[in-house]
This record gives sequence, C-alpha cells and structure tokens, in this order.
Amino acid sequence: MRAMSADTISLMSAPTKKPIARVVNTVERAVGRRDLVLARKGVRDSVVSLAGLLGCPVTNEDGREIGRLVDVVVKHGQDAYPPVSGLIVKVGLRRSFIDGARIAKLERHQIKLSSTTINLTDYKRRSDESLLDADVLDHQIVDVNGLRVVRSSDLYLAPLDKEIRVVGVDISFVTFLRRIFPGALGRRATPQHVLDWATVASLADTSGVVKTSGSKTALSQLRPADLADLIEDLAGREQSALIEMLDPELAADALEEMEDEELQGLLRGLSEGRAAELLSRMEPDESAEVLRDLSDEHREDILKAMDTKMAKQLRQLIAFDETLAGGIMTTHMVFAQENDTCGEALARLVENRDRDISDGVVIVDSKGKLVDHIQIIELVAARSTALLSTLVGPPYPTSVQIDSPLEEVIEEFSNNRGASIVVIDEKGKPVGRILADDLVDALKPEEQHGLSKGTGALS
Amino acid sequence: MTTTRKIRLAALLSVMGPGIIAGLSDDDPAGITTYSQLGAKFGYQMLWVLVLSTIALVIFQDLGARIGVVTRQGLIGLVRQKYGARSGTLSASALIIANFGTLTAEFAGIAVAGELFGISRFITVPAGALVVSFLVLRGSFANVEKVFFALSAIFISYIVAGFMAHPDWGQAARGVFVPSMPFTHDAIYLATATLGTTLAPWGLAFIQSYAVDKRLTRDDLKLLRIDVWTGSLLTGIIGFFVVITCAATLNKQGITDITDASQAAQALEPLAGTLAKALFAIGLVGAALLAASILPLSTAYSVGDLTGQPAALDDGPKEAPLFYATFGVMTVLASGLILIPGLPLIKVLVFTQILNAILLLPLLLFMFGISKDERLMGEFASSSRMRVVYGAIIALVATCVLALLWFSLKG
Repeated sequence: MRAMSADTISLMSAPTKKPIARVVNTVERAVGRRDLVLARKGVRDSVVSLAGLLGCPVTNEDGREIGRLVDVVVKHGQDAYPPVSGLIVKVGLRRSFIDGARIAKLERHQIKLSSTTINLTDYKRRSDESLLDADVLDHQIVDVNGLRVVRSSDLYLAPLDKEIRVVGVDISFVTFLRRIFPGALGRRATPQHVLDWATVASLADTSGVVKTSGSKTALSQLRPADLADLIEDLAGREQSALIEMLDPELAADALEEMEDEELQGLLRGLSEGRAAELLSRMEPDESAEVLRDLSDEHREDILKAMDTKMAKQLRQLIAFDETLAGGIMTTHMVFAQENDTCGEALARLVENRDRDISDGVVIVDSKGKLVDHIQIIELVAARSTALLSTLVGPPYPTSVQIDSPLEEVIEEFSNNRGASIVVIDEKGKPVGRILADDLVDALKPEEQHGLSKGTGALS
Repeated sequence: MTTTRKIRLAALLSVMGPGIIAGLSDDDPAGITTYSQLGAKFGYQMLWVLVLSTIALVIFQDLGARIGVVTRQGLIGLVRQKYGARSGTLSASALIIANFGTLTAEFAGIAVAGELFGISRFITVPAGALVVSFLVLRGSFANVEKVFFALSAIFISYIVAGFMAHPDWGQAARGVFVPSMPFTHDAIYLATATLGTTLAPWGLAFIQSYAVDKRLTRDDLKLLRIDVWTGSLLTGIIGFFVVITCAATLNKQGITDITDASQAAQALEPLAGTLAKALFAIGLVGAALLAASILPLSTAYSVGDLTGQPAALDDGPKEAPLFYATFGVMTVLASGLILIPGLPLIKVLVFTQILNAILLLPLLLFMFGISKDERLMGEFASSSRMRVVYGAIIALVATCVLALLWFSLKG
C-alpha cells in the first residue's frame, strides 16, 4: 500500500512540469466530448478524403462522366460541421457549379449525382461559403485544443444529419506525403492525426469572415494571452480572418496582450471600421500607444471611423509625449460625488466591471476638482446608504500634473507605495490615472528590434 | 523627435544583416572558385554574365523579402498552400538537394583551405563540421556569426588586389557592356555556374524565412530592402573584382584552367605577395563556416515549413525531431562526401553550382506565381512590368540550363 501511494503521488506531481496556466481541453468543456462526431464509429468509418476526391470523375445517374471535381463548396452557418453546398466541376474547359442537393453518393473514387440532366452554372463566391481546396486544404488553421497553428493535410467528409459535411481535419505529415502518390494509394483516407472540425478554427474565406459557431465557442474559451499567441503565429490574411471572426470584446482583450510591433502590423491588415471598433474597446492608454506609432494617414483613417467622443479622448492621449504623465495614463475612471451613497458608487463600479481597472471611485467636488479616491474594499465594508463624504479623509490619493515628467511619476510612486496615482490638469480636475502596470510598460526598455525577436530558428 | 530618430537608426542596424549575410555567403568557396574560373578561362569577356546574375539576384532577393514580409509565411509553406502537396514537396526537395550541394561545396572549401597549408582534409573537414554544429546547436551562434562574417569579409581584399593587378579597364568595360561568349560547352558551363552561385536557391528561401521568423513588418520592409540591395550589390562587386583580378593575373600568365586552390590563390599575389595563400585560405574558411552554419539551419526551417510546424532552436530534439534530423543528416553526409579519396574538389565546387541553377528554375517559377497573386500579396502584388522582368530572368536561367543540356548530350 505504501508503495502504491508513493506512485500515486509521483504521478500527480509529474504534470506540474507543464505550465499549469495553460488551459487544455477547452473544447471538451465547451462542446462536451460525446458531441464530437469523429468520436462516433459510424462517422469514422464512412469518411472520404477530400484530397483524394479532387480530380475524380463526377458521374450522372447513368454512370456517364460529366466532368472532374475541382473543388468542394461548403456553407458556413450555425452548424458546427459545415454542409457541402455544391461542387465545382471541370466540364471540358469550363468550370461549372453543381448544386449540392444533386449529390447522390460520395465515394472514394467518384461522385455520383442523382439525375441524368444536370444544370451547369458558373460559380460565384458567396460570403458565407468557402472552397475547401482553394481556401482550407494546406492552409493554416488554428487547433484550439492544442493551442497551436497547423497546416491541414487533408479534410474528411462524411454523411451526417442527412447532409455531407466536413467532419475532421488531418494535420499529420504522413497524410501529406500520401497525397504525393498517384492513383488509389494517394486517395485512401488515412486518418492519422485527425482533429474534429468543431475543435479547429478555419480562417478561410474571401471576405475573411467565417461563421463557424463551433470554432467560435471553442475560441471564446481561451485566455486572452493564449489567444494573443495564436494570433501572432498566424500569417497575414489568416490573422485578419481570425480577428474578424472573434467576438470584438475578446479580440480587444487579446490585442492588449500583444506586442506593439505585432499589433501595428495586425491593424494594417484590418479594415478601418474593425480596427476602430477594437481600439475603442481596448484600454484607452493602450490604444493611444499603438495609434501613436502608426503613420499619420492610417491613424486618421481609424480615428475617423470611431465614435467621435472616443476619438476625441484618444487624440488627447496621443498628443501627450510618452515621457510625460499624460502620455502613459489611462483615462478610464469611475467618478462619484461626496453626496452620493456607497450603494450608488458600487452600482456604478459594477456597470463598468468589464474594465479591469475599476478598483475604486474617484470623488470630485461640484467644480470637478479631485477630492479623494475610495477603494472598492472601503465601499463594500460601509453601509450601502452611507454617504461617500463619510469615507473621505486621509490618506488622500497621490496626484501628479498631466505634464509631469516620468521621473516625477516614479518618484511619487516609490514615495507612496500605492497601486495607482491620479493625474490632474492645471485646474485640479482628475483626467486620468496611472496604474503600476502602466508604469511598468513605460519603463520596459524598448524591445530590441530585428535580431532579438522571433523564434530564433534563424540565428 | 531625437528619440524617434535614434530608434530608427537602431532599427536599421539590427535589421541590417540578413541581406548582407546572404550576399557575402554567395561569395562562398563555390562562388569565389566559379568567379576565378570565369576570369582565368575567359578573361574579361564574360563579365556581363556576372552583371546579369547580380541584377537577377537583386530583383529576386527583393521579391523574397517582400513575399516574406507581406504573407508572413516561408516560401515552401506558401508553395504548399497555393500549389498543393506535390508542388510543395517538389520545391522542398529542390531546395534540400540544392542546399545539400552547396553545403558540400562549403566543406570542399574548408578542405581546399586546409590543403593550402598542407593540413589533411580528414582533419579540417570533420573539425569544421563539429565546430559549426556545436556553435549552432548551442545557440551561441549570433556572436560567432560576426567572426565568420569578418573572416569572409577578407574577400573584399580582392577589390584592392584588382586595382593592384593593373587590369585592362577598357577590356573590362567591354566585358561588362558587350555580351559575347564563345559558344562552347565550357563557356555555357561556367555561365550557368555563375548564375547558380550568385542567385543561389538557399538565399531566396533564407531571406524570406528570415523576414517571417523575425516578424518583420511592412514598416521594416524599407530597411530590409536597403539591406538586401546592399548585400546583393556587394556580392556582384566582389565577384567583379575576383574576375578581373584573375583575368589580369592568371589569364594573362596563361593559366586558364584552375585545377587546384594554390592557383586560385595566386591571383591575390599582386596585393599580398607571399601572403596571398594565407589571405585566400582565411577568407575561404570564414565564408565556408558562415555559409555552413546557415545552410543546414535554413534547410531545417524549410522542412518545418513544409510540414506546417516551423521549428525553432528553442525546441529540444524531442519536440522538433525533423528539425534536428535535417540538420544532422545534412551536415554528416555533406562533410562525409568530401572525404571520399581522390575527389576533385575544384570540380565539385563548380558542379554544385550547376545543380543550383537547375534547381533554381522551379523555385523561381513558384515565386513568380506567388508574386502576382493578389489574394496573397494584396497591394504588393507584382505589376505587369515587373512580371516581364521576372519572366526574362527565368527565361535566362532556363536558356542556360537547356544550352548546357544540349552540349552535354551532344557529347
């Protein structure tokens, strides 16, 4: 017994080698393992390799060849497994579209259609569709479970809920090599390392927007920092596509975690509208820092696309030199007056709870001048009907002028050992706060450019 | 505003490098030997081949840098994505074979340099392979790289030697501007090798993966282009002076076929006198070690790119087996090949560059295809005018390869 328990302990301590913070199995939590269709034997046994199908004959009901398969069109909607909405077939020299409803049977070597006369039309891309060969196969996809960016070696199709759907992505190199071989050898489905479609985020589409509900749920389970890593690993167009498909709030959180340089590159790949939306949702000081480094023209385009009030606030922040208090402060604050009650103040904080800096309220007098900063803990401890004036008193918050140099800010911080200081304008009105982490960002030496960055694979 | 200017300068200095490394590594043992042959055999006559090669190098290195920055993907991964599994594997294979050939040439260069001092290749080559592997895998590469860099910069002394050898400038100018060549197997062979050594496949893949790996952005592109242009032009200028130095010394003395390294070293005599051999050997070793440390790395990176999981030195052998396997196999095989007794090293050096030229063709065609793809390149897609230039260069390489094939078949 003693030996066994020792074993158990060592087994339990072993996983600590891996970073604990990493969230694994997010998808199992989100979707539930049983819901992944690749786990069902019936589906696993009926899969057909997309890479194998390409170039295969498409025949009509009589078995006569109509043409050869060029690509498969899938429709993204609410389904976790997108259904095939049509085929692109090369008939003679022309590429034609055949509606997915005409497919009678999908075999490893051919596709049988259900009627003798087939309506051939030219294919026009629709925004909610993507082409499996042109957009997904061999492209980068996000493996949400493994928190990594991989290339798809093959896609597997299978009948599911009365339609043919994409059910899995093969990411193994062996499968990739298989495709080099001609004939039956190259066409066989060899599920090696297959990810369920619901656990990946494919980023393909002309418009850049893929509405795959499954991937969206899976991605929303990630921590912003992990998401930021994934975003950084993606190539240009795929990167923009991922940002477009994310919930804006989540995307903004992830963007805050990214390196400035990286973020600038990313913003360049986004539409002004989207960039404006994301920057508005980020902490104003972080947004201002990124905007400051963009080209004048690009910055103006983004600011123009923004809500005017937000744009005005950001313009002010951008104008400040980064070596002054105003340049590193965040303008987000929750205000209250002395004759408000603690309950009201708390309610206001709760309203702003998605801002991670809502740690207290700034009390101002009737002229808007700074009176005090009251910590959330004091508000919680007091009766909810108590007036804030009862809480005002020493220690008063440290404040600096908006044009105080960085050295002075540091001086104040180290003298008072607080977590934040308030920034006031020349009239004594609070205009922002500097939190300890803003100061850390400001003091961090400029990231050395070029040689020190990157994965280090190339010296 | 002074702060931003300071930052810009720092950025320039740190981005400066990959283009110049790629450029100077083109003046590796294979490059120097090929250029020496060109000058010794044909005097000033075929300088124009070098000029064309340099133009091709500038244009395609520039394209590689642009593709890397814009698409943020390596060349091989991009080919796989755009052209599918077979093309991806074809381009990766071409790159692996070409890089292997060039790596063999680097070890040949180390052997040649050692033998100038009478040290057996059985000592110098394994030692070189060990030094390179150790430095690269231990990660202390960045500093040592500078030493190799400085050593290979010795070849800049060819510029001085070129002036001291009192070349016939009139004839040199004629060779640059008037394209003429004897229509013989040897001339075509050396022209092809010159193209292959100047516009080397590995340099194209290297510059692109460098831009991706270092996460260079479109803002960095301007600096990267300055670097790429400087490096490429430097390659051409050094090559030019190697050719005229050899033309003014070896060719004039009637040594038209270089069969061993001491003959090639003689070209430096007007500058260094009796020290010519030493100077030549040090430059050779520096350039060989510089290229031999980057080549297997760049190849391993491309293999990772093909599989979709670009590996890095930060990963251990367990996490990135393919990366380490590629690195190890390449280094061991390439250095082992040079140890085959009786191998004519100078011929190996030039032959590997012919191989480069042949394998260059599919890679250039893929780059051409990617450059005009607007979905990938966006506003950076090549204009129709640039496409004509790319097409002309590809046609030039194809013509050389076909002409060589014709001569070889003719016997």
